[in-house]
Amino acid sequence: MTSKFSKYDEYGFVRADDFDYVEYEQFMSVYLTVLSKRSMRWARIMTSNPQLKKTARLKQFVRKGIPLSLRAQVWTSISGVQKMKDKDGPNLYKQMLNKPINEDIKNIISVDVPRTYPDNIYFYPTSENHAALFRILYAFAAQNPNIGYCQGLNYIVGLLLLITKNEETCFWLLRVLVENKLPDYYSKTMDGVIVDIEVFSRLVKKKFPDVSQHMTNLDMPWALVITKWFICLFAEVLPIETTLRVWDCLFYEGSKVIFRAGLMLVKHYRNELLACEDIASLAECFKSIVQQPFSLNCHVFIKEMFKNIGSLPMALIDDLRRQVSAERNADKSTYKNRKG
Amino acid sequence: MANRAVPQRPNGQTPGKICQFKLVLLGESSVGKSSLVLRFVKGQFHEYQESTIGAAFLTQTIHLNDVAVKFEIWDTAGQERYHSLAPMYYRGAQAAIVVYDITNQDTFERAKNWVKELQRQATPGIVIALAGNKLDLNTMRSVQTDESQTYAYENGLMFMETSAKTSANVTEIFKAIAEKLPKNENTNTAGQGRRLVDSAEGSNKSLSSCCK
Repeated sequence: MTSKFSKYDEYGFVRADDFDYVEYEQFMSVYLTVLSKRSMRWARIMTSNPQLKKTARLKQFVRKGIPLSLRAQVWTSISGVQKMKDKDGPNLYKQMLNKPINEDIKNIISVDVPRTYPDNIYFYPTSENHAALFRILYAFAAQNPNIGYCQGLNYIVGLLLLITKNEETCFWLLRVLVENKLPDYYSKTMDGVIVDIEVFSRLVKKKFPDVSQHMTNLDMPWALVITKWFICLFAEVLPIETTLRVWDCLFYEGSKVIFRAGLMLVKHYRNELLACEDIASLAECFKSIVQQPFSLNCHVFIKEMFKNIGSLPMALIDDLRRQVSAERNADKSTYKNRKG
Repeated sequence: MANRAVPQRPNGQTPGKICQFKLVLLGESSVGKSSLVLRFVKGQFHEYQESTIGAAFLTQTIHLNDVAVKFEIWDTAGQERYHSLAPMYYRGAQAAIVVYDITNQDTFERAKNWVKELQRQATPGIVIALAGNKLDLNTMRSVQTDESQTYAYENGLMFMETSAKTSANVTEIFKAIAEKLPKNENTNTAGQGRRLVDSAEGSNKSLSSCCK
């Protein structure tokens, strides 16, 4: 295979053996032009709106992609990190590093650090990134004793580190995601993510009833395929550039973006999913669609996900969340009563 | 591929019966669930196996005489908090491998809890195998073979000590499970004669075979 692209991508991830270099080359030849245009426009908005105050124009800019060199700064500005820092003080990270945490939590973090992106050239035993990853997860656990550590956070922090290259920034961005953007995904009962998986399945039922019916017919619970989508916020699921573009919007607009991205996958690969005749081929199909050309082409993916899913107001998601939670609570108390 | 542990059917032979079974792996974090699957399915081992989030799906087929047994393998996340998702993963499973790490007593206790839960809540008659993994770290062992063997016997489980690293007993445990699973058609109605589990307790009625 002749290609100007190396075995590793620009973030240090090794490309899969079956990586489609031809498809990627085609995509990049277009996307590089997009990137340089976006870069120039971002340079202008950084001058005209240096505080990055939330405006309709800024939202559009974020949806069209934040340049890599500005991501750390823009993510920090648009996500509300500053408000957190004002409230908790700028020395919080250092304080948390000195706070003792539960030994079990510490152990599981230690075990997970070396198995976070083991194929990435920037993560290897004794690398500074490994040490930083441990410290960020440790400080986060110290700050959030009710959460401690949830497997999956390692992938989120790892990716934050690769982008921001600053562990303290990562700590604050992680906090803002877990504490403000997502509802209770990583707690000891993971209630938030269980609810959101059910919310997602109801959204699919509403928007793509044939896919929903097909899942039911093949006896495939959504949790089997999409838990990782939600927990890792598509890190380790979608191609890296697409994940980062989803995160751009996530930091600005919040968790509904995760639903949009998931629904987009279902919509675009609807025929492929419907063609699966049993649960095994359906599981394989879900594994493969996230790496196919449409998922790789981040620019088109994001554009379509805002244009072609139809309206998805936060109020609807919140309603569904309340509904599902209430049903779960009712189930729990029925179960308790039956037992008692 | 060169290391693939399971011999494939030679070309030209007419395929016999194909049986499909759902198998789930359960056990504490970092005991080697994903590594066992990776060894069984791809013949590989990674010193630093990425932690599984939610569930991962793989398939592998092994051949027993005239029957091809296709495993649909659901590998799961081990951290305690993922427990609430587990019933969705083991629902409808005909077989389970409950894994612990022979160098870590806590993981054995956790394995016992999984066994209890499966016997109480999973498909009645589910075939359960207990795997004491990391046999390559025998010198650091803290769970004695006798102890696990006795526990397995008393609870009607199959039991093997395995090493995903050296591949010791990996194919063997899947093969033993395959042999134990019912492969006669219409097990629900006609298969009462076949004993599915060693355990004296529990009904076997609901475990159906999936043979074509």
